[in-house]
Amino acid sequence: MSRVFLTWAVTHSVKEVQTEDSVLLFVVAWTITEIIRYSFYTFSLLNHLPYLIKWARYTLFIILYPMGVSGELLTIYAALPFVRQSGLYSISLPNKYNFSFDYYTFLILVMISYIPLFPQLYFHMLRQRRKVLSHTEEHKKSE
Amino acid sequence: PGAIRFRAGEASALPASVSPRRRWWHGGDSAAPRGGGAKKAVLFFEVEILDAKTREKLCFLDKVEPQATIAEIKNLFTKTHPQWYPARQSLRLEPKGRSLKDEDVLQSLPVGTTATFYFRDLGAQISWVTVFLTEYAGPLLIYLLFYFRVPFLYGPRYDFTASRHAVVHLACACHSFHYIKRLLETLFVHRFSHGTMPLRNIFKNCTYYWGFAAWMAYYINHPLYTPPAYGDEQVKLALAVFLFCQLGNFSIHVALRNLRPAGSKTRKIPYPTRNPFTWLFLLVSCPNYTYEVGSWIGFTIMTQCLPVALFSLVGFVQMAIWAQGKHRSYLREFRDYPPLRSPIVPFLL
Repeated sequence: MSRVFLTWAVTHSVKEVQTEDSVLLFVVAWTITEIIRYSFYTFSLLNHLPYLIKWARYTLFIILYPMGVSGELLTIYAALPFVRQSGLYSISLPNKYNFSFDYYTFLILVMISYIPLFPQLYFHMLRQRRKVLSHTEEHKKSE
Repeated sequence: PGAIRFRAGEASALPASVSPRRRWWHGGDSAAPRGGGAKKAVLFFEVEILDAKTREKLCFLDKVEPQATIAEIKNLFTKTHPQWYPARQSLRLEPKGRSLKDEDVLQSLPVGTTATFYFRDLGAQISWVTVFLTEYAGPLLIYLLFYFRVPFLYGPRYDFTASRHAVVHLACACHSFHYIKRLLETLFVHRFSHGTMPLRNIFKNCTYYWGFAAWMAYYINHPLYTPPAYGDEQVKLALAVFLFCQLGNFSIHVALRNLRPAGSKTRKIPYPTRNPFTWLFLLVSCPNYTYEVGSWIGFTIMTQCLPVALFSLVGFVQMAIWAQGKHRSYLREFRDYPPLRSPIVPFLL
């Protein structure tokens, strides 16, 4: 969900941010994450999951996740002045449908929503890591 | 079944190893033996209540009347576990089965003379009436705050000013009428099947009603509000639709109330009465929802306001889901349910 939003609604829509370093930052983080994640799913379905992949999936996120989030937030922040200037995706009163939407304020609310959401997801992954990786160690010990 | 079971002496001979957490409560003194000298063989049941998740024995009741209802058993259970008042108890025959009804009678259930029930805590409960009154009073007051342009909602130069558009005043009257009607119906018309619902629903429901009311009211009462494109004709037509549907909705509520005697929970097939508004029952299972959507469509056309259209749409989706559920349960319960009826929209949905 946030992938689509960052890609289309921010980076594609606001051309001026496409040369920002923050875009490189989240693209690299997402790319590495996805390669590992889908390998994990594929091998799991084949019932042959190398420990390395499982380890990578549940460990590398510790760096990649904050990296990705930083890239995303910096990109949104960079887009703000251009959105304000151009009135992108915004509609103001008066109009015949008696409706208004301010994309600039919406983006700020999106950024604020990272504050509760990011720690929840991050700590969930950390808990999963403890569960999954200690489980494998027990299996190894019993062999 | 048929054997008289008594456990002589058990009431006084609790094993010493029973921990306080697993206290067994015995109803009545079964220490006195009931033998062949009894004049009438009364078959008493024993009821044990286990936690559905942990299978822990929570309560044991002996000497339970065969005609005891689930409601009475719930009351007995509350005595040993007062934090679980009857409204938050779900008793079922299987750990993952459906809840038994309060009116179910013990001896009519498929249980032996020792009945085992599984208990699930439904969480804190709140009465339907309380929820309805709260969720409807909010929009009534919130809309008026925007209508009177109370400070901090619009710019300071608009504080306590009035709109110059007649339709804005009309919309306020309609919106207020709608919620006053709902409040009065809650107090005097509706007969609820369930007394309570989970407590968290009040937060969810109030966010929905109060949030949408504020959003709609903001635009309709805004100093830059644009009246409908087709002017007075559009407003008059919309008002007619709105009033027609309000009357229709009220007629259905009264008809449903009259199906059910006070204090009972009987369910019957609703049929059209002499009131023409109820003739919609010929085509639809839940005409109250049909009329409700109609009212909000009328209000949307009257105000020509996109947030109102969105509120109508969301409301329609929710009511369609409820109507389909109600329709299905009518079909399940009544063999002779009229086949022409659809849940909410004639012939379509």
